[in-house]
Amino acid sequence: MPTISINLKDFAQLLGRQASGNRPVTAEQLEAWLPLVKGELKDQDAETGELRIELQDSNRPDLWSCEGIARQIRIKLDGAAPAYPFFQAAKTQKRRVQVAPGLDRVRPYLAACVANGYPVTEEALTQLIQVQEKLADIFGRKRHTVSIGLYRFPAIVFPVTYDLVKPDEVRFTPLGFEEKMSLREILAVHPKGLEYGPIIAGHERVPILHDAEGQVLSLTPIINSREIGEVRVGDQALFVEVTGTDLLMVLLTLNIMAVNLADRGASIEPVDVVYPEATDLGKTIRTPIDFGRARSIPIKMIEAALGQALSADQIRKALLDYGYAASVSRDNVSVKLPPYRNDLMHAVDVVEDVAISRGYSDFAPVMPSQFTVGSLSRVEQVSDRLRDLMVGIGFQEIISNIMASRPELIDRMRLAGTEWDRIVEVENAMSQTFSCLRQAITPSLLKVEAASSRSFYPHRLFEVGEVALFDPANDAGSRTVMKLGALIAHASANFSEAHSCLDLLLYYLDCPYQLEPLAHPSFLEGRAGYILSHGRPIGLIGELHPEVLEHWQVTMPSVVFELEVDRLGEKT
Amino acid sequence: MDMTALIDSLHPLEIKVLTALKAEQAKAPSGALRDDEISQHASLEASQVSMAIGWLLAKSLIKEQHKTVTPIVSLTKIGERYFEKYSPVERILSAVRDAGQTGKRLTIQDIQSREELEASEMSGAIGTLKKEGAIRIVSGGCVEATGNPSPTAESLRTLLQQLRGTKRELTALAEPLRRVVEQHAVKRGNTNEPFRIDDHVDRWYVLTPEGGTAADLLVQQGPSEEVSQLTPELLKDGSWRTKRFRKYTISLRPPRVLAGKRHPYREFLDLVKHKLVSMGFEEMRGSLVENEFWNMDALYMPQFHPARAIHDVYFVKEPTHARGIAEPFLSQVAAVHRDGGKTGSTGWGYAYDQERARRLVLRSQGTAVSARTLASGPKVPGKYFSIARCFRYDAVDATHACDFFQVEGIVLGPDINFRTLLGLLNLFAVEMAQAKESRFLPAYFPFTEPSVELHVRHPKLNWIELGGAGLFRPEVTLPLGVDVPVIAWGLGLDRMAMVALGIHDIRDLFSTDLDLIRTTRGKF
Repeated sequence: MPTISINLKDFAQLLGRQASGNRPVTAEQLEAWLPLVKGELKDQDAETGELRIELQDSNRPDLWSCEGIARQIRIKLDGAAPAYPFFQAAKTQKRRVQVAPGLDRVRPYLAACVANGYPVTEEALTQLIQVQEKLADIFGRKRHTVSIGLYRFPAIVFPVTYDLVKPDEVRFTPLGFEEKMSLREILAVHPKGLEYGPIIAGHERVPILHDAEGQVLSLTPIINSREIGEVRVGDQALFVEVTGTDLLMVLLTLNIMAVNLADRGASIEPVDVVYPEATDLGKTIRTPIDFGRARSIPIKMIEAALGQALSADQIRKALLDYGYAASVSRDNVSVKLPPYRNDLMHAVDVVEDVAISRGYSDFAPVMPSQFTVGSLSRVEQVSDRLRDLMVGIGFQEIISNIMASRPELIDRMRLAGTEWDRIVEVENAMSQTFSCLRQAITPSLLKVEAASSRSFYPHRLFEVGEVALFDPANDAGSRTVMKLGALIAHASANFSEAHSCLDLLLYYLDCPYQLEPLAHPSFLEGRAGYILSHGRPIGLIGELHPEVLEHWQVTMPSVVFELEVDRLGEKT
Repeated sequence: MDMTALIDSLHPLEIKVLTALKAEQAKAPSGALRDDEISQHASLEASQVSMAIGWLLAKSLIKEQHKTVTPIVSLTKIGERYFEKYSPVERILSAVRDAGQTGKRLTIQDIQSREELEASEMSGAIGTLKKEGAIRIVSGGCVEATGNPSPTAESLRTLLQQLRGTKRELTALAEPLRRVVEQHAVKRGNTNEPFRIDDHVDRWYVLTPEGGTAADLLVQQGPSEEVSQLTPELLKDGSWRTKRFRKYTISLRPPRVLAGKRHPYREFLDLVKHKLVSMGFEEMRGSLVENEFWNMDALYMPQFHPARAIHDVYFVKEPTHARGIAEPFLSQVAAVHRDGGKTGSTGWGYAYDQERARRLVLRSQGTAVSARTLASGPKVPGKYFSIARCFRYDAVDATHACDFFQVEGIVLGPDINFRTLLGLLNLFAVEMAQAKESRFLPAYFPFTEPSVELHVRHPKLNWIELGGAGLFRPEVTLPLGVDVPVIAWGLGLDRMAMVALGIHDIRDLFSTDLDLIRTTRGKF
C-alpha cells in the first residue's frame, strides 16, 4: 500500500468550490473524509500544508494521487460522478500509434493519449511524477507489468511507432545525460538502464517509441529521451503513453492518468493504437477506453451481506455517491464501475462500496447470537498443566524467539556432523542471527543464561514452546512440536537436581518413565539419558558438556531436560 | 514513649547492659561502669557492648558519667625498624666512634652515604648529639666522637626495647624517657618518628532515671529468657510459656526470595486466550512451516501479490516444496484464481502455478491456520481462534521482531453479516481493551470484503488500532467447502502488551535478560 504526499491547498482546489464554500479545507476535515478512500493521515506539516497519506487498497490505484482522493470525496459531496466525455470520443481522431510486430513476445501492449491545454504547474508536476512512480512501482510491479511515459507533445510528429530495434541500431540522448548513446550503452551505463534493463533482457531487439521523423521518445520501459521526454513547468500539452504486459492493466493505468489530467483542466484527446494482430479488444484500440461492463446484482444479496434492509433507491444512491453508474429494477441493481476502476471481481466488492458510501457508522452492530462452546486444544491444555507445575517447582518461565542461527542451535551444542544436525533453515535469511527454526528449547534457555550471569542465583528456567523438527518423512519436511525445556544453573547444579524435578513433574502427569543412558555430544558422558515412557523416547535429560557452556560463555554448571509435550498427552 | 513498649523493643544486648548497670547501682553508690567492665559483667564482646551502648544512649536510657583520657605510647613502624637496625642517633654515634678508633676522618656526607640516611634524619640526629656533647665538628667539616655518652641514644635504646610489641602509659615512664618520647613522637607535620602517643579514652556509664525505671521493669518481668525464634523444641516441651519473644522491627526490608513465575508476556497471552475461550472460541493450531497454498493461495492472494515476493516471506531451504496439496482444494483454489471458478467472481485472471503452491515458507500470517480450519469441515455455527507464531522478512528493530504472535480467528454461521461483524468487534473492544469507545474504518485485506479496521479508545493509549477484520470473500470460503458467511478477525495486541508490561522495545517481549523477566510485573 502506497503512501503519498499531497498539498492541502492543491487538494482544496481539486475538490472544487461546491464542497468547501469559500472556507479553506483543513487537515481535520480531510481526515474525516479519508475513510472514503481507505486512507490514513500519517503526517502533516502545518506550515507548508504537506500531508502524507497512506492508501490501503492495493486494488484501487486510482486513489494513489491527490486528484484521485479529491475525486472520490468530490463525488460523495456532489452526489454525482464527473463526466469524462473523452471516453465516448467521436471517431475523428487522426493521431495514431502503430505497434510493430514481434512486441507480443517482449512487451505487447500500449495505450496513449494527448493532454492538451494542460498547464503544468509546480504542484501539478509533483503530483504527476508521484502518481507515475506509484503506479509503475506498486501497481506495475516495478515497471514489469506497467510503466508510464510522459512527453512534451509539441515536439512529436505523428504517427508514433512502438517499435522493436537492435540495441546498436539507435542512438539518443537519455534523460540525465548530455550526449547521444546507443541503446546498448544506455542499458549498460545509465542508472535506469541498470535498474530496469532486466525487464527487457534476453531479447535480440528492444522496444522503443519513435515518431514519424525518427526522433526517439524513449527506450521503454526504461528511460525517456532528453529532448522530448522531459516535462517542465510551463509546458502546455503532454503526450502520455503506458506500456506493459497485461492489456487491461495498461488500459486502466492510462484511464487513471487521463482522468487525473482532465481533473486539472486538460482536454484529453484519444489516440488510436493499431496492433499487427487482433487483441481481446480488437486490432485498433482507441485509448482511453471504457472497457468496463455492467453487472446485475440481486438486492437481496446486498442486504443479506450487510445484515440490513435497504431499499433499491438507497442502494442506488449509495452507489452513485461512490462513482458507480447504477440503475435498479425490482430485485436487482445493475452497476458499472467508472472507467478508472477495475476492481469489481465479485458482488461482495459492490457490497463494501455500498457500506463505505453510506459510512460504516450507518450500520448498527449486532452481536452474533449463535451458541458455541469454547475450548483449548489438547496440546495447549497439557502445556498449561506443565507450566503450572514448573512454576510450582520454582522455575521462572521464559519466552524466546523461534528463529535462531545454526551456530547457536548446532555448533555451540557440539552437534555439527552428528545425527542431530538437521534443522529447518531459510533460503533468504536477512541475517545469520535469524536464519533457522529452533529444534530444541535448550539453546533458547542458554541464550538467557548467557545474558544473565549477573542475575541472582540459582537460575531455574523453563519454556514451553514450539520447535520445528527436521523430518523428511513429513509432507512439509518438518514437524512442529511443542516442547518443554528446563534449565538449572548454579554453583552446584547437577543431574540429580534436574532428575528430582523431572520425577516430580512426571509423577503429577501420571506418566511412568525410565531413563536410559545416552551418549549425546551436548552432555557430559555418563550424565545424560533418554526419558522413555512406554518404551518410547519422550525427552532428554543431562548435565551440559563444559564445552557447550564455554561456547555460550556460561560460567555456571548447567543441567537441562526437555520433553515433547504431545507425547505426554498420549494415553496408552 | 510508653515504657512497656520501649522495653518490648529492647534488643537482648541492650537488656544485658541495662541489667549490668542496674546491678552495679545496687552495689556501689556511683553506679557507674567502664565499658570494659560492662563487657565483663554482662559477658559480652567489646563490639557488642559498643553497639548496645550506642542504642541505649540514643534512647536516653543511659548516659556517660565521665571519661578519662590516658596517653599511651607505642612504637610506629619506624620505631620497629629502629629497634632492629638502630636509630640514626645510635648509628651516627657508633660510626663516629668506630672511625675514631681506626683513625679515619668522616665528614657528615661520608656518614650519610655510609649509613644510607635521609638528610632530615642526619640533621636532627647530628644536632642532638652535638648538643649533648657526644660529638663535635672539627675543621674540614669532620665529625669526631668526644667520648662523652649520649643520654638520648641510651634512652632511645631503653624505650625501643621496652615498647617493642606492647604499649605503655606515658605517665608510667620515668621523666627523662618521657621527654625523649615526647621529642620523638609522631606529630602533625612529622610522621617519621619511632613513637606514637595515642589518647585512650575510658568512659563510665550510669543509668538515667528512665534507664533505672526500665531496668526495674525488666527485673519485675522476671528472669524469663527472651528468644527470637520459636523452635519445635519450645513447642514440644511447652517451654515457650516461660520465654519472651523479641518484637521485630517490621519496617526493615526483607531478604530476597526467588520464586517460580510465569513469564509476564505469557501471562498476558494467557489472559487473551482465556477471554477468547470464555467468549466461545475453540482453539486451532497449525504448523510453523507452511506451503504457499495454505499461507496465501487459499486466502485469494494472487501469486503475483507484492507481499509474496522474496523480500516479504521466508522461504525454506530444504526441502523447498511440499509433496502435494490436498484435492479438491488445489483444483478449486486454482480455478478461483484463474477465472473465479464457481464462485461468481471474475478471478484474478492469470495462469495459476501449482508448483508455486507447494513452495514451503515460514508461516507469515495466522490466517493460514484459519484457512486450514475452513478446509477441515469446521462446525457451523463455529468460532475459532489461534495465537500463532508468525515470521516476517523485516529488519529486526524496536518495532519489528523476527517472529511474533498473531491473535486471530474466524466465526462461521448463517447469521454472519457485516453488522454481526461489527458486533463481534465491539465485544473485542470491551473485552480485550476495556474500551468505552470504538469506531470502524474501511480497510483492505486481500481475503475479506467488506473489510474493517477496529479503532478503540484505550484507557492508557488513547485511540489505537486494535485489529482488522472482515467477511471472508466467497473466493476464499467456497473453494474450501464452506458455504456460510465467515468472519475473519485479527487483533494487534502487542502494543497493549508492551504498555501492560511497561516496555518500549518489542524485542523485550522475548527478552533474554533474566533480571528484567524476574522483575517485570504485568499490569493487566
